[in-house]
Amino acid sequence: MALLEVRNLVKTFGTKTVLDGVTFDLEEGQTKVIMGPSGCGKSTLLRCLNRLEEPTSGSVRFDGKEMTAPTADVRALRQLIGFVFQNFALYRHLTVLDNVTLALRQLKKMPAALAEERALHELARMDMAEKRDAYPASLSGGQSQRVAIARALAMEPRVLFFDEPTSALDPVMAREVVTLINRLYLENVTILCVTHDLYLAQYISDSIIFLDQGKVRAEDKAENLLSGHADPVIASFFGRKS
Amino acid sequence: MGGNFPALLVQLQADLPSLISALGETVLLSVIITINGLIGGLLVFYLTLSNSGVVRKIINGYISIFIGTPLIVFLFLLYYGLPTIGIRLSPFVIAVFGFFLNVSAYNARFLVTAYKGLLPTELEAAKAQGFSRGQIFRLVTAPQVLRLAAPALASQAIQNTKDSSIVFLIQYTEFFAGMQEIAMRSFLFFETYFVTALVYLLLVSVIVLAMRRLERRFTIPGLS
Ligand SMILES: Nc1ncnc2c1ncn2[C@@H]1O[C@H](COP(=O)(O)OP(=O)(O)OP(=O)(O)O)[C@@H](O)[C@H]1O
Ligand SMILES: [Mg+2]
Repeated sequence: MALLEVRNLVKTFGTKTVLDGVTFDLEEGQTKVIMGPSGCGKSTLLRCLNRLEEPTSGSVRFDGKEMTAPTADVRALRQLIGFVFQNFALYRHLTVLDNVTLALRQLKKMPAALAEERALHELARMDMAEKRDAYPASLSGGQSQRVAIARALAMEPRVLFFDEPTSALDPVMAREVVTLINRLYLENVTILCVTHDLYLAQYISDSIIFLDQGKVRAEDKAENLLSGHADPVIASFFGRKS
Repeated sequence: MGGNFPALLVQLQADLPSLISALGETVLLSVIITINGLIGGLLVFYLTLSNSGVVRKIINGYISIFIGTPLIVFLFLLYYGLPTIGIRLSPFVIAVFGFFLNVSAYNARFLVTAYKGLLPTELEAAKAQGFSRGQIFRLVTAPQVLRLAAPALASQAIQNTKDSSIVFLIQYTEFFAGMQEIAMRSFLFFETYFVTALVYLLLVSVIVLAMRRLERRFTIPGLS
């Protein structure tokens, strides 16, 4: 049984079908990247998986539990999924350290000292420990994203979701963040990552899910998708990129 | 001009104990109004975020009514109107209750405005972490909107202190009522109201200083 099993996921906004029967698996320890043209539903897919958006139909089983069931404890399941956003979304009123400890203290009910220890460990992993007392406003984009990753990791999630983690960053900072995510990949952290960044896609993925108009058009290893794919849509997408 | 301040001084000395207690009433009332108004404002603001359209309509109606009518009308309604249906409340209770409803409406509106300055993805991040609606409000929304609305809330606190003087109209003996009585008795109108103004100015200055300290303590870079 895969950690995440997505079956026939459909999401419509009004008359517009954004996800049109998406099916895939994510195994524990695996890393998959979701790519596809702008507006094809990548963010919506991630958001449906932890029910930030309500799926219209279909099933999402996470760790054997049906995420879309009416009885599902959505908040408990969300705690098992670390979500990293394009725009970092750090809590502006909290220091770097408090950003990371907040959920530990409030959700995991961890004693303050223990939460701090955990948080500093994760911040160190992201090379951000020395900024523990800084407020988000004083951080660069790359630093903010590293704190956001530490915040997600601190909860010891079963899987990390990334929604375009590098696209708000300049190339240098983006490389830094890619390097850190790659490190997680090598440590076998389970990752589902939406990105337009080919560099990121190649460095962190076991396979790439190519999403087009709300459907999985292909799922394959990066090297098979990136050059001379038989499907003209995929070939032209990556042809344009590289 | 010049004014006969020595004569007033004699009056003030004679009435000192009652004036001090009246000043105490003003300070007490201002503090109660301000604290109640903050709590009420937060509560009303919380309700404006309700999922229920009916609740939001009622709350917005309440805010509009209290911002749209003079407080004194409401105070008179309670003070002179209620006894006609057999309900008699003390001036203190009416003052506290009336100001509570009025100031809460204003503060709620300040917080609603500040809420527009929050970043939706930040609230979404909290949701994605597994926080409940109540936790998000307590841990993210409230600390941020209170900071963003701080200047407006502070000027409301100053307003409260000044506005508390209107309760003399419902026979509540706070500082202004005390001074009013001296003016009537001594005919030293100019001198009395001049000193009254100075005392209010002093009270407001104390608030301003307190606010500055709070500001220094709670200001966060990037959030104001
Ligand atoms: N809340 C919403 N209401 C209506 N339409 C929406 C909503 N959210 C997304 N959409 C629409 O769904 C489609 C897919 O959006 P989504 O953000 O998932 O695309 P994406 O693949 O992440 O695009 P990008 O690469 O630009 O981030 C878009 O056409 C978008 O306009
Ligand atoms: Mg997107």
